[in-house]
This record gives sequence, C-alpha cells and structure tokens, in this order.
Amino acid sequence: MSVGKERYGEEMDGLIAGVDLCDAYTQVNCAGEEKVWTIPTVLCRSREEDLWYVGEDAYAHNLKGDGIIVDKLVKLALRGGTATLAGVRYEAADLLREFLKHVLELPGQEYGRLDFRQIVFTVRHLDTRLIGILRGCMAGLQIPPERISVISHPESFIYYTLSQKKEIWNNTVGMFDLSEECLRYYEMKVQRALKRTTVVAEYEEMEEGFNLDILDSPSGAKLADRILCSCADRMTAKKLYSAMILSGKGFEERGWAEGFMKQICFNRRVYTEQALFARGAAARAQDILVDKNSPEKNGSPFICICEGHLKATVSMNVLHRGQETNVVLAAAGDSWYERRAVVDVIPEAQETIDFVITPVDSKKKRIVTIPLEGFPRRPEKTTRVNIQIAFLDGRTMDVRLKDEGFGELFPASDAQIRQEVML
Amino acid sequence: MSLWLCRQEQVKRPYYMEALRVHLYSSQELSYVIFNHPLLVMDDFVNEELLAFLRDELNMGFLALKLERWLKSAENPDETLVLILQECDYYSAADITRYRQLLQSLRKKHPAEYGKMKADELFSLRRYEKAAGMYRQLLLSPRDDYVNEAFLGRLWNNFGSCCARMGRMEQALAAYEKAWELAKSPRMLEQMYELTRLDERLKLSAPIAAMINDEQREGWDAAIEKAKQEASGSAAVLQIDELFARDPIRRQQGAARLLQQWKQEYRSMA
Repeated sequence: MSVGKERYGEEMDGLIAGVDLCDAYTQVNCAGEEKVWTIPTVLCRSREEDLWYVGEDAYAHNLKGDGIIVDKLVKLALRGGTATLAGVRYEAADLLREFLKHVLELPGQEYGRLDFRQIVFTVRHLDTRLIGILRGCMAGLQIPPERISVISHPESFIYYTLSQKKEIWNNTVGMFDLSEECLRYYEMKVQRALKRTTVVAEYEEMEEGFNLDILDSPSGAKLADRILCSCADRMTAKKLYSAMILSGKGFEERGWAEGFMKQICFNRRVYTEQALFARGAAARAQDILVDKNSPEKNGSPFICICEGHLKATVSMNVLHRGQETNVVLAAAGDSWYERRAVVDVIPEAQETIDFVITPVDSKKKRIVTIPLEGFPRRPEKTTRVNIQIAFLDGRTMDVRLKDEGFGELFPASDAQIRQEVML
Repeated sequence: MSLWLCRQEQVKRPYYMEALRVHLYSSQELSYVIFNHPLLVMDDFVNEELLAFLRDELNMGFLALKLERWLKSAENPDETLVLILQECDYYSAADITRYRQLLQSLRKKHPAEYGKMKADELFSLRRYEKAAGMYRQLLLSPRDDYVNEAFLGRLWNNFGSCCARMGRMEQALAAYEKAWELAKSPRMLEQMYELTRLDERLKLSAPIAAMINDEQREGWDAAIEKAKQEASGSAAVLQIDELFARDPIRRQQGAARLLQQWKQEYRSMA
C-alpha cells in the first residue's frame, strides 16, 4: 500500500484529489492533507448576471433573493434533466460541471495551483452514465480522461481503512454511515493469500434510514437511537471487529445516540470520520499515480472486491507456443467499467468460443460457450475471430465476436455476434 | 479442438505474394501460404524482401536475423521455411515435422517432375501464362528414363490446356496434337474435338479426325450440350441476366463493374 507517501506538492506537477460527490453534500480532500472541504451540492445562478455560486454561498444568494438555486445535481444529471435558471435552460450535466468547477477551485486556491494530476470521484451508486457524465464534465474543464477515475463508496472505505494502521484492519472492519440520504452498514475483510491479498467490502442499505431532522427533537432522537441499536444488533452481533467506524453527518454529534454508542463501543475500537469517502478517494488517487509511475504497472497491491469491481475472473483456454494456456481477459478485482479486452483467436476443429468464468468466492469454474453461428465455412484454421469484451455492470459481460476472415486469402464477412453473459 | 491465440501484429505494409497475387497481413497468413503451397515457396522465397517484412512489419527481428544467417551458411535452405513455421506458432510441432518430410520428398523428385508439379500448381491457381512458360521450359529437358514420350505428352497436353484457358485456341489445338502424337491418350482426342466445337474455325487434321468414331462423337456432343445447358443456368449467367433486367443507369454501372472483374481475372492469368 502506497497511501501517504506523497503529498500534493511533492515531486509532482498537480493536485491529487478525492471528491465524494453526493446529492446532499460534496467533500474534497487532497492526498496527504488533513483539510477537507464540505460543500452542500447546490448551485445558484445570479438573476442578473452570469455569476454562479456553490454550497453555502448559493444558499445565501438564494435567501437574499438575487439568485436561483438548483439542488440534487447528481440525480438531475443521471435523469438527463434540465433546469431553467434566470430564464436560461441548462442541461443538468452542464450544471454539474459548473458546480464541480467551483468545488475544484477550493483546493486550488488553498494550495496555490489549479492543475490536477489525478482526481478520483467517489459516488454512492456507481453507474456507467454517471461515470460518462463526470468524464464529460472534466473534459469541459480541460482535465484529460486518464486523470479521472470514479469509484464506489465501498472502494473508498477500503482505501481509507487500508491507509490506517494495520491493527485497524487486521480483522473485520465495520462502518455505519448515517447521512441525510440513507443509513448504510459497511463491512470489510482482508483475506490474506500467498499470491495476493484480497479485500472484500460489502454494504447493506438499511430500510430503517431516517431523516436527520428528527434528531432536533428529544423524542425523535430517542427513536433514532432505538433504530440504530436495532440495526447494530442485527449487523454486528457475535462478530469480531478490529475496528468500527462511524461516518456521515448523522454522527457529527453523537449525544443523541447514547444507547447505540454504548452498544457499539463494548469491547471494540470505535472511530468517527466525517470525510472517510473523500479521504479514501484521495488515497485511491495516490495509488493510481504510484502504479502509473511504476515500471511494472502491477495495479493495486491487493485484489479489491466490492461494488465497481468484478467478482469473477474471465479467461480463455488457448494454444500458445504449442501449449495450452489460460489467458485472462478480465480478473476478479478489476474495475468492470474500465475493463476492456480485445483478443484475436483462430479456432481449430471447433465452431464455438468458450469462456471460463471463475468466481472469486468459489473454486467452481463455469464454461460459457458461444457458438459461431452465421460465420462462413472455410478451410480449417482460416477464420480469425476478433473477441471484444466489456462489462455493462459487475455481473454482465458484453461479448462481441467478429469474423475477421484470413487476410486476402479468405476475406472477412459481415458476421458478428453480440451476447450478454451473466457472470 | 482448440483456439490459437494470434500475435498482435500491426502490419502497415503487407507482403505481396506474387505467385498467389495476395497481400499477406499476418504471420498466420504467411505460415498458411508456406504450409499449403510448398512448391511456390521452395525456391528463393526467403529473400531480403521477406526478411524486411518479418523484421519491420511482424516485429520478428530475431527470426529475420536467424534466417539471414542461415541463408549465408551452407545449410539446407528449406530449413528456413521450417524456421518460419516454428516461430510463427500457427502449426503444431507434428504438422511441421510432416511439412519437413514433404519438403525432403519433393527435393528427391526428378527435376522435370518437380518442375511439372510446380507448373501444375500454377495452373490450378489460374496462373496460365506462367504455367505455360514453365511447361515450355520443361519440354526442353534432356531425355532420360523419366523424361520419356509419355511425360512429354503430358507436358504438351498441359501446355495446350493453358493456351485453351487463355483463349489461344489454335495454339492449344497444335499442343494437343503434339501431346496425342507422343502419348496417344483418348482424353487428348476428346479435348481436341471439344476445341473444334468451341471454335468452329478450327479443324482437326485428317489422321486425327479418322481416329474418332461416331459413337465417341455422339457421346462427346452430348457431354458438350449438357455442359452448355448447365452453364446457361449458372450463377454467373444469372447474374448477367439480372444485370440486363435493370434500368439503364444501374445496368451500365453493373456492366462496368463486371467488365473490370473480368479484366482483373484475365490479367491474373498472366
């Protein structure tokens, strides 16, 4: 793990930032820095001029009456919606870009530089559309796509936790995240192996999630405490933890959760961290840079199994140098939205392409066979099949098989097969 | 049953295989040609141009260097073909062993037989002009136990077939007559008769015409009629019929394309 080795301004030419982008708030942290900016995810446009404000400033101008506010920018962008501010219709993606422009200026002003070496966004729900929108926003801000990455909250949780002392994560780590949007319980386990350590993080969205406004009244606070106690009982009973973390706005002040705190702190180390996801994203950003700069390009030093990452390895048995070998097209732990593989094969005495699917949590391999239907018949070994794989989500592989023919000897046809394979 | 993994090869300038009139874009295609057309690659195929293709386009500099050194040594040049097959990883070790044995057996053949096999291969690839040139050259081979009348008859026959395919009917008939004189094969008589039916200007010489009886003539005529009927319903003829059923603009475009295709085919015979 390389987290914490580099600070924003050392031996580099730009900031390394983690951005936790939620509909209620946005937090920004730069790698190795303590400071975190927490800004409500709202944008305000002046009624008179083309002036924009974000966060508390936006609220202030809206209250003053000289600005029109728009909130829930992430949801709006995902819906592909629009908003009309001061008589002008704006695309949601453009509003999000404007918001992010102002947000990213904050660390720039603090550290005296506006260029970014790496930005990792962390989001509550990883979605290919949102990834596309964020990349588009960054392109609009002249930040190249290779400097942008989007991860899920569970992945941020992993990176944050692993950037702490080993005693924190040498056993199960649990986390309650109580925000204005939801109540989630996260759990992370480190599975050591001879080859590579695997880190698994999962979360459960608690149906009992409540609006934080209820904490303002004593009866509401009492009810909230009881809800949390019941959740803690259900999720943590009889489990051994090396640490328990409390995160989110709901835990900024914990006086209301007396019963829950008593229960959760019994025989356990409990930490609170309000900007865990932003810090985790910054740690991930730093790790990406370390890997980019290392000659081996080995990727992460551990296999990360969580939302946004594959839980199975996809491979093919092929002949290479006269020997049967297994070629990995996508490995468990790879980011499914970034993973693409292209390979050309020539079938011999077979009219199918077989993929081997090996789930990370079981040794049971599964063979998925795709027949080359509609491909022209040619002499043996004179059909090159171009195989392209990508992932639509963590469980669905998109396979494209294309007839490439065999040069001018046997020209390619238009034959193509597209199939979705469930992992 | 297996899948062969292809090397990633970004070929910008493909290798032109003159004998087959194709461009080769990959090590697999190169291997395929070497393996399936040994007679076309056994003599001077591994040259500077091929080495440059291996080195610059297929990124196989080490193989190119190895071949270069091999060619400079006094070792068997056929081994260069085997080396290419081994390095390209398209054929199994067993296939390559069989190929090596095939090369050895071909080298043991009488030079005239080897030459005729090569010419026959060019004929099968519709390279008639080139094949005809080789048959003519082989007709000058010194006579011995192998190069006897029967062999020379086959050469004249094949030379005649090349001429016929190129539309040189008179030359073809003359060649078939020579073939008949040497080998006396009934098939040669039939070919000569067919030629005279295809080109009414041609006449069989009196001694040859006398060799053909009525029964043979009737049988061959029937076969010719049958072939003509089959040809009239062939895909190529239907394509032309369809073309002429179109409106004048599209017909003209289609005709131009077809003519271009025929020209290409005729040129490739040379």
